[in-house]
Amino acid sequence: MLVLGIETSCDETSAALVIDGKEILSNVIATQLDLLKKYGGVVPEIAARRHAELIGYVIKESLDRAEKTLDDVEAVAVTAQQGLIGCLLVGVAAAKAISYARGLPLVGIHHIEGHIYASRLSNPDLPFPHICLTVSGGHTMLLYVKNETSYELLGTTLDDAAGEAFDKIAKFFNLDFPGGPTIDRMAKQGNRYAFHLPRPMLRNNSYDFSFSGLKTAVINMFKEKLAKNVSLPIYDIAASFQEAIVDVLVTKTLRAVAEKNVQAISVTGGVSANSRLREVFQEQCRHNGLAVYFPSLSLCTDNAAMVAAAGYARLKRGQKSNLRLNVYPNVPLEARDED
Amino acid sequence: MKVLGIDTSSYMNTVGITESGQVLAEGRYPAKTDTLEQIVDNIDTTLKSAGLRLSDIDGYGISLGPGSWTGIRVGVTVGKMLAFSTGKPACGVNTLDVLGFVGRDHGYLITAIISVGAGDAVYAGIYNAADGSIRRTGEYYTGSVEGLAGYIDRPAVIIAQGARDYAARLKKMISHEIVSVEARPYGSAVAYLAALRLEKGEQDNVLSLSPVYLKESTARALVNKYSGNRNKKDK
Repeated sequence: MLVLGIETSCDETSAALVIDGKEILSNVIATQLDLLKKYGGVVPEIAARRHAELIGYVIKESLDRAEKTLDDVEAVAVTAQQGLIGCLLVGVAAAKAISYARGLPLVGIHHIEGHIYASRLSNPDLPFPHICLTVSGGHTMLLYVKNETSYELLGTTLDDAAGEAFDKIAKFFNLDFPGGPTIDRMAKQGNRYAFHLPRPMLRNNSYDFSFSGLKTAVINMFKEKLAKNVSLPIYDIAASFQEAIVDVLVTKTLRAVAEKNVQAISVTGGVSANSRLREVFQEQCRHNGLAVYFPSLSLCTDNAAMVAAAGYARLKRGQKSNLRLNVYPNVPLEARDED
Repeated sequence: MKVLGIDTSSYMNTVGITESGQVLAEGRYPAKTDTLEQIVDNIDTTLKSAGLRLSDIDGYGISLGPGSWTGIRVGVTVGKMLAFSTGKPACGVNTLDVLGFVGRDHGYLITAIISVGAGDAVYAGIYNAADGSIRRTGEYYTGSVEGLAGYIDRPAVIIAQGARDYAARLKKMISHEIVSVEARPYGSAVAYLAALRLEKGEQDNVLSLSPVYLKESTARALVNKYSGNRNKKDK
């Protein structure tokens, strides 16, 4: 089944063609990186405007690159849940129009479900059940993935997402946006044990996260030293800050693995591209006899191929949405409407 | 030529179908219904009420704004992707023209007004009736209601949501007769205006159709607001 996937939940306008949730024929991603750099973050109204301008071109390009036409497409999957409401609705409006005009089945997907499938797309042998950590600029979620379409949310961030913390620290130090890749690069030249920073909620029994306090701790430490005319080595700060985040993410994920007694971990979302996070997960998993899976780098950030793959899994089970499909900016994954 | 027009700019979901200047069907969902949820239903119901299928439609008219930002994005995206998916031509229409079209049979100067939404500013278009349709007299206007007085040099009909209030304010400024017509833009007017171009063989680049925000400064104000916040934080 050839599925057209559409994703516009935040700041990437993306369309993809994927066969049977496995073979990616095209995965076109128009980033708004220029706007992000300009404003130091996503401005919802500006992002929505850009989606409305680009959506048609991106869909056409996904067909052209795959050397397909709409005649070949058998279903449409679109991110309809979790994201910026004004952005989500552009993708859903486009998906509904195509579905209606061509008489194609339509399926609305939860954005996080898409991220779960990003890992499956890159690693077809990723087993069930597994623990999935989704970390990006918008989300930090720990999920127990029971099977293809059934999930249990174990924990989420109570304030900033992990990627958001990277961005905010980068912004504070006037580093390049997005902050994740910049801090990752700088941390390689720094001493990750130079400063002891808090590990928020690590001793807490819950699987929830909180990164706002860590961000404040870094900023306060910098200001205090600055007031005493002691300048801080920025590379060491980057490395220590990154280490604190990685430490929390890895520790909580391993705790969930032990509790649920699973053998595999999947790490997805933009922050899963972080080289230190990958390194520590690989070390820990080798040590504990676990398997860890990451999406290929191009599937880490938001993309429509993962949406097409998630859509295929739903459609295969006979689950689809009707043409009244609406957008829900903030709904938990497990409470997903089966339509 | 059967043309399907869509307008979702005024917190109302409207679809109309015309052929040779005649309205075949008109579907309007009242305000406060959810535009995104209802839009395809509305199109489907309107087609059926005219005994048509989507494949019978020869072209599309799409109301581009100004108006509700979110509403327009839904209508424009659905309209252009319907045209793309069926391989039919489409024309974008400025929503002020759609509103002005309501006054096409009026002998007075036609003044269509849409609230900017923030503060007291308005968008406006000024037209003369011409051959059963309308012809715009100059550039689109953005500014205060009172500022419009300078453009109204003869008896005028104000067409708007809240037209009576705008007319009352203008009457204080001008001695010409001012009448008001309470109206919203609607789908068949979009279809009619698009058909005028489509029937001449003209069309817009379907994929490039995007909402019109008219007032660039609205976008710039947003930008300034956010970059302003940023600078403050950085200090």
